Amino acid sequence: MAEEFSTDGMLDMFLYESGQLLEKLEGIILEKKDEECFDDADINEIFRIMHTIKGSSGIMMYENITKVSHKLEDVFYYLRESHPDNVPHLELVEKVLIVSDFITGELDKIKDGNEADGSETAILEDLDEFLNRIKGEIKEQGIRLPKENKHEEPSQFYIAPVASEDSHFYQITIHYRNDTQMSNLRAYSATYALKEIAENLLYTPEDIITNEESAEVILAEGFHMLLQTKSSKEDVIKLIDSSEAEKIDFEEITAAEYGKGLTEIAQEEAPIIINLDDDKPEVKEEKKAPMPGDYVVKAKETGKGKTLAKNQPKQQSIISVNVEKMDALMDLIGEIVIAEAVVLQNPDLKVPGLELSNFYKASAQLSKITTELQEVIMSMRMMPLTNVFQKMKRIVFDVSRKLGKDIELEVIGENTEVDKNIIEHISDPLMHLVRNSVDHGIEENVEDRTALGKPEKGKITLEAKNEGGKVYISVKDDGKGLKKEKLYEKAKNNGLIGNKEITDFTDKEIYRFITLPGFSTKEVITEYSGRGVGMDVVVKNIQSIGGRLEIDSKEGFGSEMTLVIPLTLAIINGIVVQVGQSSFVIETASIKEFVRLSEDAIVKEPNGEEYIVLRGECYPFIRLNERYQLPDSQGKVDNGIVVVLEHEGQQVCILIDRLIQEQEIVVKPIPSYVKKVKGLSGCTQLGDGSIALILDIAGLIQGEERG
Amino acid sequence: MKILLAEDDFASRKFMDKYLSQYGECEVTVDGEEAVDAFMMALEDGEPYDLICLDVMMPVLDGYQVLKAIRDIEEEKKIPKENRAKVIMTTALNEERNVKMAFELGCEAYSGKPIDVEKFEKVLKKLGLI
Repeated sequence: MAEEFSTDGMLDMFLYESGQLLEKLEGIILEKKDEECFDDADINEIFRIMHTIKGSSGIMMYENITKVSHKLEDVFYYLRESHPDNVPHLELVEKVLIVSDFITGELDKIKDGNEADGSETAILEDLDEFLNRIKGEIKEQGIRLPKENKHEEPSQFYIAPVASEDSHFYQITIHYRNDTQMSNLRAYSATYALKEIAENLLYTPEDIITNEESAEVILAEGFHMLLQTKSSKEDVIKLIDSSEAEKIDFEEITAAEYGKGLTEIAQEEAPIIINLDDDKPEVKEEKKAPMPGDYVVKAKETGKGKTLAKNQPKQQSIISVNVEKMDALMDLIGEIVIAEAVVLQNPDLKVPGLELSNFYKASAQLSKITTELQEVIMSMRMMPLTNVFQKMKRIVFDVSRKLGKDIELEVIGENTEVDKNIIEHISDPLMHLVRNSVDHGIEENVEDRTALGKPEKGKITLEAKNEGGKVYISVKDDGKGLKKEKLYEKAKNNGLIGNKEITDFTDKEIYRFITLPGFSTKEVITEYSGRGVGMDVVVKNIQSIGGRLEIDSKEGFGSEMTLVIPLTLAIINGIVVQVGQSSFVIETASIKEFVRLSEDAIVKEPNGEEYIVLRGECYPFIRLNERYQLPDSQGKVDNGIVVVLEHEGQQVCILIDRLIQEQEIVVKPIPSYVKKVKGLSGCTQLGDGSIALILDIAGLIQGEERG
Repeated sequence: MKILLAEDDFASRKFMDKYLSQYGECEVTVDGEEAVDAFMMALEDGEPYDLICLDVMMPVLDGYQVLKAIRDIEEEKKIPKENRAKVIMTTALNEERNVKMAFELGCEAYSGKPIDVEKFEKVLKKLGLI
């Protein structure tokens, strides 16, 4: 709850800005960790970042953050002023990371609505000791110590309101009996009673005391209230005098709806909303003399400009937009694409003898614009992988140090852009792959490497590229590689593959064993990997966004794991097919071929399962009309078309009646009121306005295996 | 310590009055104009307020206007920085831009409502008022 919605804009801003600064800090540190020392620009930058965090956390009164950042600022102050030599660089890097981790941890606590209660003393002592050593060093080198870094106590403070996260939001409507006298006063007494417990209370009509006519409005439309309170539903109901009420509608709503509900009611019933606790600035400000408004705008500009200039000089032409708004826009554009199809393929146009040349000209223009619109919104949602890759740098650094391995990380194509949704989904799987490479991939002993003629320093390459509507992200190491025999043995011993011989599998199939649940080849489980949960989770996560994992390896020379992910989730290229009266969509990429077969090609098992033998290969066979009980389909193989589908190297054949066309499909989730059906992943609206269901190949194959 | 409280909402006013009274003599106004008047009066009497708590949403003059007026008057009368009144804004308008604006207008602290009494006290300490 606290993460999704916080009423406290100041706090949000603090968290956001500090988060950004810390990210930047980590970027600098990791970039320069292998060098001899930081250069002046870096030292200045780190000093500035710590200074800013110190200042803002001081205002926000998070004292432990203030103290820690102050101390680190001091360290960099001396570095900046005296340029001492012989600073233990790696140690300094570690100190900065410790501080950055500490602050990040505290920020997370604050984000979750907890107290930032981490103890800073250990870090402070540690930094003090370090600082003294540097000071000693400075003296030894005969440089005069600079003046003490003057620490200005913050002179302004922001007191965050008591956490309102556990507030409930209610929408209450009281309908009074039609013969109720002075319902406006009754309504007022209800608001009065609620004021006791309310953190915020909005109601309409507003002028219930002064305007007697409001009584009639209340009788006609009911008395609406929006209440924010910590009290439970029961307590609230007790407070409302229900003696004359015919009916009280009582509904708990989310915080977001609370904000929305206000405007919705406002729209319905003109400008009659009052705010008792001064909580909604927009509403009341407008009602006042225009003067305060003028102030707000003026001050906003100067205030904002100052922060930007201070923190992100390069970003002045960038505005940040709420992701929800972007999603809404994306959704709307999806609707436009559908609506366009509905217009252009309207059955009314098929009346013979219509003169349509002007229509087609106009529609071509429309199509062009909608396509562009789609492209623009897609590009707006695109984010570079830089941040994700940065995290990986940190992981390689941490894990390799802990394991005592010397590893170099090469990053290629970190500016590759991917849809924001996808970025959120690949961070964890990628982290796992990188950890695996560091932990299992690179050899423990340097001798093992030199014996094979490889350099002593291990190397991991993280590469992203964009090709043909897909994003390829690969993690490559030059370590041990996967041992096929060992994988096979292990899979067999764990009973994952039955009794098949090793020769029954291709290399890739054997590598794929590591993605099976309950498989771990490493005998010794380490802190970082090897618990046997992992690769299967990685694969599951990747599949959930329509991607796949490819594994390639050469024993003794390393392995490469590649994530292949679609650029976007919202629009796919699909083929519309018909079964009976129902339309289905199949993603074009997963279709291997269409074939016409006769009934003889079908092999029926005694248990009812059917198979198709096609050019000597045997495939499971699904009659869609039977699977989804579509009685109006003839379901004859002779008249229909068999589609061979492939997913993750597994095939399945389905029988359909007719092919309709290939087109761009805007994927919509199946509404939550429809029960989840296996083998269907979403739905879309076709040009003629009808609904088509999108087939989920993985689901179909799984269903088949289980059946 | 001498305190001025400007707050139009009755419930908040009652609470704040009670809370602040433990630290000193607390005088109360219900709108912004009155607050400025009270400030002037105290200044003329040579007994200026040490702490001024301003609600933002008030009739006639809002908290920002009062704050600006107070700082302008102090400027004009050339009152040295350390002798100026400490101003704490108390409001539920805790959007960043509002807070920033208040800071720029020269308040010492900005307290979101509902007020976190513990932190409020801390701030009073830091401001050297108690």
